[in-house]
Amino acid sequence: MAIDPRHVGRRYGPFKTTVCAERIRDFATAVAGGTPGYFGAGSGDGAHPWTVDEEAARRSPHGSLVAPPTFGVTFAMQPFALACTDPELGIDLVRLLHAEQAFEYGAVVRPGDVLTTTGEVVEVRSRGPLDFLIVRTETHNQGGERVLVGHWTAVVRG
Amino acid sequence: MRRLQDFQPGDTFELVRRADRYLPVYYAAVSGDFNPIHIDREVARLAGFPDAILQGMCTMAWLADACTAYFGDPVRVRRLRVRFSRPVVVGDTVTFRGRCTSVEGPVVKVEVEATNQRGEEVLKGASAEASF
Repeated sequence: MAIDPRHVGRRYGPFKTTVCAERIRDFATAVAGGTPGYFGAGSGDGAHPWTVDEEAARRSPHGSLVAPPTFGVTFAMQPFALACTDPELGIDLVRLLHAEQAFEYGAVVRPGDVLTTTGEVVEVRSRGPLDFLIVRTETHNQGGERVLVGHWTAVVRG
Repeated sequence: MRRLQDFQPGDTFELVRRADRYLPVYYAAVSGDFNPIHIDREVARLAGFPDAILQGMCTMAWLADACTAYFGDPVRVRRLRVRFSRPVVVGDTVTFRGRCTSVEGPVVKVEVEATNQRGEEVLKGASAEASF
């Protein structure tokens, strides 16, 4: 069943997240093939030191750990996840896949930042047996600076 | 640290990562994406896959790691874009091969191919932009 285009304009949020050093480090560690958490064994192979090593990060031009580029999944994905599971949209999760993703970056994200994200369904379209849903998110930090714009595209296989 | 003059069109870079059995579970924990298709082999099979599939965002995180290693600094990345063209299944190894396509003003652009161990593309149109 096709997603009804009248849902374009549907909004989700705002959602608030406080960024913490441990979450940045665990995220970068897991992605690089390491084990996150207290029993972690090393930081995986190839995590950037400024995302996992507080000492190295302190000596960097940024002066603290910084979030890696796709860390936005932890604070900006919620509107997309809620749209995909919204009973009004009626998407069958077993047939849902993440189809495309685009990010534009603004201010640096660091531990201690308080981020606020809002999202909106900006496009619904069908192509043959496939339905596409695009949610645009925008995230600002505690100083009002924009840190991230995300375009999250889901495909529902017919 | 790399500076603008260190980048030339035609530069190449490479990163290889493997999706072991635990990665989608760890990635679920650190990202919050616990969709059972990534965690539970039986649910993945119901959806038509041979095994649990890796979160697309984790494949994108690998892409970001490949680009960040080339750019030298995670926060230099200004744009990142991908299309997930084929699922990465537990057990797959993905090779990212990047190429610098332009250096214009302060902006360095790259395009990246990502293929599994059978040479099949798992991403299409993967690209990144950094500013120096």
